Amino acid sequence: MIMLSRVAERVYWMARYIERAEDTARLVAAYNHLVMDIPKGSQPGWEILVRILDADPVFDEWFNVRNEQNVLRLLIGEADATCSIPYAVHAARENVRTTRDVIPDEVWELVNELYLYTADAAEHSVGRRNRQQYLEQVIQRCQVINGVLRSTLCRDHSYRFIMLGQLLERADMTTRIIDVGASDFLEREGATQGIEHLLWGTLLKSMSALGAYRRMIGPQVEKNAAVDFVFMEETFPRSVRFCVRGIQDELTPLSNNKASLRVVERMRRKLRGFESTSMDQSALHAYIDELQLIIGDLHQAVYESWFHSGEG
Amino acid sequence: MDKNWNRYSATEYYDELITPKGTPRQVARPAVKLLKELPTDDLAARRTAAEVAIREMGVSFTVYSEAGNIDRAWPFDLIPRVITAREWDKVRRGLEQRSRALNMFIHDVYNKQKIFADGIVPPETVLESTNFKEQCLGASPRFGVWANICGSDLVRDSDGHFYVLEDNLRVPSGVSYMVENREITKRVLPEIFENYSIRPVDDYPSQLYRMLAALSPRDRKRPVIVVLTPGIYNSAYFEHAFLAQGMGAELVEGADLFVGDDDCVYMRTVDGPVQVDVIYRRIDEDFMDPEAFREDSALGVPGLMRSWLNGKVGIANAPGSGVADDKVVYAFVPDMIRYYLKEKPLIRSVPTYLCMREKDREYVLNNLEKLVVKPANESGGYGIMVGPHADKATHRKFAKLIEKNPRNYIAQPTLSLSTAPTYIGDEIKPRHLDLRPFILQSRDTWVTSGGLTRVAMVEGSLVVNSSQGGGSKDTWIVEGRL
Repeated sequence: MIMLSRVAERVYWMARYIERAEDTARLVAAYNHLVMDIPKGSQPGWEILVRILDADPVFDEWFNVRNEQNVLRLLIGEADATCSIPYAVHAARENVRTTRDVIPDEVWELVNELYLYTADAAEHSVGRRNRQQYLEQVIQRCQVINGVLRSTLCRDHSYRFIMLGQLLERADMTTRIIDVGASDFLEREGATQGIEHLLWGTLLKSMSALGAYRRMIGPQVEKNAAVDFVFMEETFPRSVRFCVRGIQDELTPLSNNKASLRVVERMRRKLRGFESTSMDQSALHAYIDELQLIIGDLHQAVYESWFHSGEG
Repeated sequence: MDKNWNRYSATEYYDELITPKGTPRQVARPAVKLLKELPTDDLAARRTAAEVAIREMGVSFTVYSEAGNIDRAWPFDLIPRVITAREWDKVRRGLEQRSRALNMFIHDVYNKQKIFADGIVPPETVLESTNFKEQCLGASPRFGVWANICGSDLVRDSDGHFYVLEDNLRVPSGVSYMVENREITKRVLPEIFENYSIRPVDDYPSQLYRMLAALSPRDRKRPVIVVLTPGIYNSAYFEHAFLAQGMGAELVEGADLFVGDDDCVYMRTVDGPVQVDVIYRRIDEDFMDPEAFREDSALGVPGLMRSWLNGKVGIANAPGSGVADDKVVYAFVPDMIRYYLKEKPLIRSVPTYLCMREKDREYVLNNLEKLVVKPANESGGYGIMVGPHADKATHRKFAKLIEKNPRNYIAQPTLSLSTAPTYIGDEIKPRHLDLRPFILQSRDTWVTSGGLTRVAMVEGSLVVNSSQGGGSKDTWIVEGRL
């Protein structure tokens, strides 16, 4: 099995960008939902989404006023903004376009169609009226792409690097989504008083986790249990622990995997030390920051081991 | 739709589907009948379906412009072009013969140069060409074949005969669109296949693989073959990916390859270096190896030439094969066939005046308004003057160009390119077209069934290049008595 380093890098990024597009759409959809449940007058600002996506500098480049319209215009309408959904989709498309020899034809067609959809729909999906439908479309189309990849790709190197990209991005985005709930900004505004269970329910829903949570934990959504669930539940495919286990499984058959596996081990230790009951919102936020730094290290290790290898 | 076809007037040109009387040619009858029976809005709906299919399949080509590179949807006309197998088989044999002679010529030029010594071709016409690469002198690629992939452009004149217009021996492109055109026709006009036995075209990638595998210097059951592309911004990138995928080969860029101390070529993979046996290069030789050719090339692989000359890797087309891809050399191909093969040329060439010959030049300068003047080394339809369509000022401009650099210009009589019914707006109109078949050669020779038909979409125009707004048609070689 031959896998060019450059191709490995591109399929890895393709998977990351598709996951990023899906999870950004999930994040916006969840917040969109939440806002409609919050009593008038105490609504938190939309800029929290910008902050969670580390997109403050990008936002300032495009806009002055931090309001709903501008945040959504950034995330849905601005194809050139690195944090936007159309940007992620376009980047995914460029990566598939340059690796069509290892990716099934249907995937190219689906990614291409997703690209055409996000480009065409961008303008009229910023407003509340069409927004939800747009976000659902993006999520669904990404899921179809993942479904085709899973049901058609040989379990070889290309599959491994696709999975690595997807799981790494997903772990990153899952922690970011939880960060919405951990934001001290929300607490300070007093926006979520009395509707905390709604907030956490919405966040679970954005990860399609609400049903699973109810079956396993119970009907009442409560902060600590919800955070525990999406961080630690090893059977739930979007939990951080599930992603880390998956990353470890994909790394194992690769040659030259020592450095990456060491970072995975650090990540597992970090997760074992997680105690939701002892954490307030700000401690949770700090914990998520640390997790994200380790995810960054993992990416670096993958990059150094495989994407720039093979020099003779 | 019927009234449209009845209004279709065959012109003074040869029409591929319709006779001068206005009736369909025998081979085209079932297709024309079906198309005639389709209501206008149905035909329009199918054209839309074809456009959607092309967009979704991502069949595209890249156009360079001042505003950057644009990825454009492939232009496609619904109405197929139909050729009988009997007629095609004659053309095919002619192309095989031509390709064999051209390869013997290239090998001769870089080795014994007998054709010069015997006075058939004047040496300076070849040795002074920019396409002649002295780095290749003495090289001996497998089977003595240099141009493993040849894309020859054919046109049909008003006498009904096919003529070779030029031979593309460097990095000819278009074959992927030949395959995709068939795929699109199958999707949007499935009924039309019921009454025909049409030779398939989608075996091209496997024929290409077979031809390339024969070039492997190592005796392996499955040699490592790569397609070398300049990258995503190349106009034919779609095709490079298409062919790599069709062959199960790696699509590589220069930076993916390196030449080791043992002169072998390796590619960088996640499991470390892997040796490469055969390179199908889709990158111009000038950019292939900064050690041997242009130093400033960032696209190539340093040492590639050295590896090839030492027989460590097979390269198709071999560097230097462009020496026969020259409009001056073209004029000598019939002589080459007689000289090397001792055969009569089976397919016609267009009479060609070489401006470097004093008598020819005089004739050309006196008859510019009748002739097509072409620079010897350009491709893509650039720098051509079509005499009858050009004004006096352009004639004067070209007269100056020719006098300044006669070696660089040839002239040919204006051919009356054949036409075919083409769906323009809501109407069926005659449009000029050409045909590019592809000839593969290593251990043996193989020709595509038909090829890529390109159409000049503008009324009266002879310019078929897609980079200049041309379209394309599915091309059928039809078996059996019709």
